[in-house]
Amino acid sequence: MLFNSLTFVVFFTLVTGLYWAIRSWNARKNLLLAASYVFYGAWNPPFALLLFATTAMDFALGAQIARVSAPVPRRIWVTLSVLVNLSMLGFFKYGNFLLENFQWLLARAGITYQPPHLDLFLPIGISFYTFHSLSYTLDVYRRTCEPTKSLRDFMLAVSFFPQLVAGPIVRAADFLPQCNQPPVLRRNQFQWGLFLMTLGLFQKVVLADTFLAPVSDSVFGHPAPVLTLDAWIGVVAFSGQIFFDFSGYSTCAIGAALCLGFHLKDNFLFPFASVGFSDFWKRWHISLSTFLRDYLYIPLGGNRVGAARAALNLILVMFIGGLWHGAAWTFVVWGLLHGVFLVAEHFLRSATKGAAWKELVPVEILLCGITYFFVCLAWVFFRAPNFQSAGMLLGAMAGQIPVGQAILSGREILLVILITVALWGAHWKLRHSSLETALTATPSWGLALVWTLMLGAILLTQGSGNAFIYFQF
Amino acid sequence: MHSSTSNSEFQRPIPSRPWNTLLLLTLALAVIGLVAWEIRARTWGYAPGLNDTSDLWADRREAVKPDSIVLLGDSRPLFDLDLNALEQGLGKRPVQLSLAGTCAYPILDELSRDESFRGTVILGLIPAIWFVPPAAPPYQNGVKALKRYQTRNLSQRAGHHLGMLLEEKLAFMKQEDLVLPELARKIPVPNRANSYLPPELPPYFQTIDRERRTRMADQCARPGPLQDRVKTGWIPLFTPPKFPDYTPKEVLEGIGKQVEARFGDTVAAVNRIRARGGRVVFVRFPVSGELRDLEEKLTPRAGPWTRLMKETGAPNIYYSDHPELIFDCPEWSHLSGPDSEEFTKRLVPHLKRALNAVPEPRG
Repeated sequence: MLFNSLTFVVFFTLVTGLYWAIRSWNARKNLLLAASYVFYGAWNPPFALLLFATTAMDFALGAQIARVSAPVPRRIWVTLSVLVNLSMLGFFKYGNFLLENFQWLLARAGITYQPPHLDLFLPIGISFYTFHSLSYTLDVYRRTCEPTKSLRDFMLAVSFFPQLVAGPIVRAADFLPQCNQPPVLRRNQFQWGLFLMTLGLFQKVVLADTFLAPVSDSVFGHPAPVLTLDAWIGVVAFSGQIFFDFSGYSTCAIGAALCLGFHLKDNFLFPFASVGFSDFWKRWHISLSTFLRDYLYIPLGGNRVGAARAALNLILVMFIGGLWHGAAWTFVVWGLLHGVFLVAEHFLRSATKGAAWKELVPVEILLCGITYFFVCLAWVFFRAPNFQSAGMLLGAMAGQIPVGQAILSGREILLVILITVALWGAHWKLRHSSLETALTATPSWGLALVWTLMLGAILLTQGSGNAFIYFQF
Repeated sequence: MHSSTSNSEFQRPIPSRPWNTLLLLTLALAVIGLVAWEIRARTWGYAPGLNDTSDLWADRREAVKPDSIVLLGDSRPLFDLDLNALEQGLGKRPVQLSLAGTCAYPILDELSRDESFRGTVILGLIPAIWFVPPAAPPYQNGVKALKRYQTRNLSQRAGHHLGMLLEEKLAFMKQEDLVLPELARKIPVPNRANSYLPPELPPYFQTIDRERRTRMADQCARPGPLQDRVKTGWIPLFTPPKFPDYTPKEVLEGIGKQVEARFGDTVAAVNRIRARGGRVVFVRFPVSGELRDLEEKLTPRAGPWTRLMKETGAPNIYYSDHPELIFDCPEWSHLSGPDSEEFTKRLVPHLKRALNAVPEPRG
């Protein structure tokens, strides 16, 4: 079920109405759990069984890890949880990719092997719910989370419908304590949740789908070379599209959860105002970057193991981050590029440590622009269907392709520039602040007008939008 | 106990604003805005009615039974064939699967591979559209509709039925014209010289019901600005895109091969249907004015049409062979509502003859 669908409007109204009408906290949790499985099963009912299997296995393994105190069995149980979770993810998401690469490797060795094509459907949101579930056994192992005795509560933590299919990646340690007592709606919490849902949908269906997606789709899908201007506008449009698409989903999820009394953390913090790549990853898909940091980078030794090893760790983490996004080498290159950017930035920061000029606003703006430039270069690999297409587009962006077509209309170019400048301006203004602070200072009439315009624009799109990009991950 | 980033006590801040008042004010303004927009849409001549979505098409595809009469093709069989007249003439109510601006080959192919289907296909064919390469939008329209039919889930079905309830009540819900992306297209910004831009699609000029019976809007059937706008849109839309000078020879050759392959693929699809006892009849629908001249210039009758009819050996009806089937299309491409009824009545005897010319379905 998509947030931007009439079905969801009816579903959410019914579930929320019923939820607050019920007095018993247990009954309410049962309702939320049933609603979450209906929400997920509406895509493909059998996949709900897979979701349940993952959840039940981690619940049982979490209990095993907590039950024993000796390090070796604890390590065995947690390793089993990691292996089974990653195997399921690997089978459904990377099965064909691995087979194709195996075939390629054998062919290099002169062995002809025709693997069977696995006719696999990718269970929607598997990358997200696997991480929701896995975080539990890892945290129980690290003794940073109490194991829960309630399978129902854990199932709800993994499958809670606002964040189930496209994040944010909510750790069980953050969610389970909220299941202990019935939430008390603070004053205005429900209305604020509705505002956030409107804002998220506006980002998704109006800015991403209506204005930016057609431009990036035209440029990335064009079979022939395009002009330098068109190439740049296409890439800039995609950078805005993916932000509004994913941030829009996260904002909707946070808003929907608030309406039900649950609190989810921010997944994006004005990333277009990032000064440097480490800053970018503190602002972009925060729930994934912190997950990789806490469960991979730090256990690998983090930055406590010498400069060379730390750099290698960083690149390895970003390699896995890239692969998490999709079973294709283009995603791997995207991740590796970010790894290289982070390492380069680390050395530059060390070389210029203590320099006061770095804090000057014009320098920060320049560094922000440079960061954006390299982030855009990396997006080319993320969005392009293959390396040939990515190479052609990068060539066009660099003005190295002598022939090319003007495929974008004047209106499309103007809208992408206006939206991007507005986005940059808003992020720069709010980079040390928050949306909540900014809105507190906004006059009521202005806020009502903005809310109405967002709602009106959503209604005018009449459900003509696409699925969220991150559903496929 | 918490992980390094976990905090079970975390509570989202809520901006200190009068949210109750804001919510009520927003809802009131939104309702006022929507009522005003609905009134404006009606004064422009729009009336409540369905959009021809992939879901509506998928509903009809699901309605196909083993012995159904299926109407297939582009917008001409969609506009020009009247379901009541066909039912009266052929004794069975047909299922309308034609799609505007669409090469129906992928749909014919899918139907031919449906082992349960052994019915009748009345296939409207414009050679300029039928022989487009698979990457072209008319081909992809058919692929998109099929994909929806094959993969739509419970949530999409429910959304579609809820959407139809609203569309049948509200005039502003017109996906061709009154959605935000279409309204944004009206922003007047000049294009660069030599831009390679797709031609604009025609505006909303028809009504459609749940059976996908489509009728030209009255404003389009009579001379006026809407008719002129639709009419002038056909020439750029039917003119094949120019390939840049530097397009590699292999690319052009590849497209040529794809067009050539369509002959063989069509024959194979027709034969698969026939092998199960089904029947296929090709129909060329009326076309008028400059569009008729352009189609004849691009794809002369003696060219792809004649060759395809010969290779398939299927019965066919070419409107201009029969004086009673020559109608004037108000906007050059389709018949008005009343004319579509009359045209269908006159077509029925030809269809009966053509269908009797091929073997009866095997039981």
